Amino acid sequence: MDHTTLPESASLLPDLYGRPQADRFMRHLTAFGDRYTPALGSLGLRRSPRLPEQPRSLPALVLVVTGHRPVAEDVVELRLADPSGDLLPRWQPGAHLRLTLPSGRERHYSLCGDPADRRSYRIAVRRLPDGGGGSLEIHDELHLGVRLTVRRPRNGFPFCGEQKLLLLAGGIGVTPLLPIAREAGRRGLDWHLVYAGRSAETMPFTEELRALAPERVSLLVGRVPSGAELLERARPGSAVYCCGPAPMLSAVQRALDASPAGALHFERFAAAPIVDGKPFTVQLGADGLTLDVAADRSALDVLREARPDLPYSCHQGFCGTCRVQLLAGTPDHRDRRLTSEERADGALLPCVSRAAEGEHLVLDI
Amino acid sequence: MPGTGTAPEVHDNLVLEPRDVKFDWSQLPLHWIPDEPFATHTINVLHLLLPEGERWFVRVFKDALPMITDEQLREEVLGFIGQEAIHAQAHEEVLEHLLSQGLDPRPYVRQLAWLFQRVLGERPGLSARQRRENVIERVAFVAAIEHFTAFLGNWALNSPGLDRAQADPTMLDLLRWHGAEEVEHRSVAYDLMVHLDPGYLRRIRGMMVSGPLLVRLWVRGVRFLLAADPTLHGRIRPSWLAARSAAERGMLPDPVQSLRSGLRYLKRGYHPTQEGSSAQALSYLATSPAARAAVAR
Repeated sequence: MDHTTLPESASLLPDLYGRPQADRFMRHLTAFGDRYTPALGSLGLRRSPRLPEQPRSLPALVLVVTGHRPVAEDVVELRLADPSGDLLPRWQPGAHLRLTLPSGRERHYSLCGDPADRRSYRIAVRRLPDGGGGSLEIHDELHLGVRLTVRRPRNGFPFCGEQKLLLLAGGIGVTPLLPIAREAGRRGLDWHLVYAGRSAETMPFTEELRALAPERVSLLVGRVPSGAELLERARPGSAVYCCGPAPMLSAVQRALDASPAGALHFERFAAAPIVDGKPFTVQLGADGLTLDVAADRSALDVLREARPDLPYSCHQGFCGTCRVQLLAGTPDHRDRRLTSEERADGALLPCVSRAAEGEHLVLDI
Repeated sequence: MPGTGTAPEVHDNLVLEPRDVKFDWSQLPLHWIPDEPFATHTINVLHLLLPEGERWFVRVFKDALPMITDEQLREEVLGFIGQEAIHAQAHEEVLEHLLSQGLDPRPYVRQLAWLFQRVLGERPGLSARQRRENVIERVAFVAAIEHFTAFLGNWALNSPGLDRAQADPTMLDLLRWHGAEEVEHRSVAYDLMVHLDPGYLRRIRGMMVSGPLLVRLWVRGVRFLLAADPTLHGRIRPSWLAARSAAERGMLPDPVQSLRSGLRYLKRGYHPTQEGSSAQALSYLATSPAARAAVAR
């Protein structure tokens, strides 16, 4: 819809029915707004300074490592507790923690213990030699007694308690499904968990799962199952909860329509990996700071370090929230939101869009 | 209905993310609730209001971002902004489809653009305090409107009457996907308002201004659409009686219940989590054809 052309005043705003008269309702609204807007800030129409600040969330936790033991090949289990033994904040199945490691690295891990245990949090971490170093630090450098800053639990994989459940775990992706399976058992729901892994030695918590209900757990060991195979146990209306490596999730998504399953839940990981990125530079305004965007980082992440209040949302180039205006330079548009006209006018989504190697983009920020 | 049988419950500390949904309107009939032009157009008012309205929400919340001192709330607000931007886009596409069917929504949309861009838009010559207070006041308007969108979302998720009337399945999915995300993020605007101003007066002012305005805009929208529908020749006129009757047949939310819901917002101990079920909304989002297709992209 074209609504770029607004008239000069409310009295010129056309009537809804094409009658040759100004719209009274719109005129009154406009007059109301003209008085209301400047009145705000005067006595009675402003925030009372006597009211206390109301933080939405509580500060991060400082927890101590009370357990650190291998539970499978290349997987350690970590237990975290309050240093003075206080109760920890409650959490619901599917929730995760964000740890700040002694090196300053931040990592997210699903909680895999029992929500009823209010004295400790349990997570499990697979060693990723080619990752960013966070898992190696946890494996090799964290030991009992170390204190970590931990954000309170957040939930990106909430459990909705459907009657028929098919839980699909791939490797370390079993972690959030363990408390979901336990909760399903507690509520008397009909659940089945299919757990795929490279080899039995690399798969943590198999015994614990079997202890919940041996007949409800199937292991697929030593090969990569197809989506159809994973969904074999789906029944009409089953809700599928899937957590595992990206290829497994895509295989399940593709096979979903051909299966009787009704719903698919999965944890969305905001940023997709950067494919074929090259380093380039961005400049904040015509005579502003120039920042380097490394090949493995998004322009948005770099911009946010300089401008923490920059809005953004999806990290995937579809919602358009982070849109900025390009003043100079040739971008490589990678979003799926902007039209060719908008791009021609210089719109750019820095969450995914980049530039050729060595290119310099000047942004109106 | 998907999602029935799940216990109503609150999910704590949800991570909010926009979903990249797409709808194909090429097959949508003009009266997508067959033989029910009044109910169809009463719901169609959403498509008139939401693109301009939700883009305005996004502008207000972007203005509020620098005032947020809480990390979790900031993340929720960013998730909210992304979801609202996608909602605006989805409803805008329906408007384009209406136009292609000979119903020109532009006179009404132009008035809304005036309302949201001029009357409620940025104004030059304000002091820093006035600007700040205006941002908070608008957040309070949004919080009150979000109370209604969550009420309507909850209704859409529990509206077997629309299925019985054989409403168009793609439109039902749009209404329920949108409704489910409204239930999912129903606390964000309210929590933001309380974060910026915990005062009770701010909350009631938000509802006192935007509640009646929303009702008035809705009534005007229904009258406008019924008059602009090229197949009706102005035969059908809106009335509260017709709305009650459509509500009794499960095709519209009950006007009296909607009013009562608005009054609940004024209760001292009100919080948005008291209405609707996150579990039901999230389980619908896991079944929604559009949300499922978004996953696969």
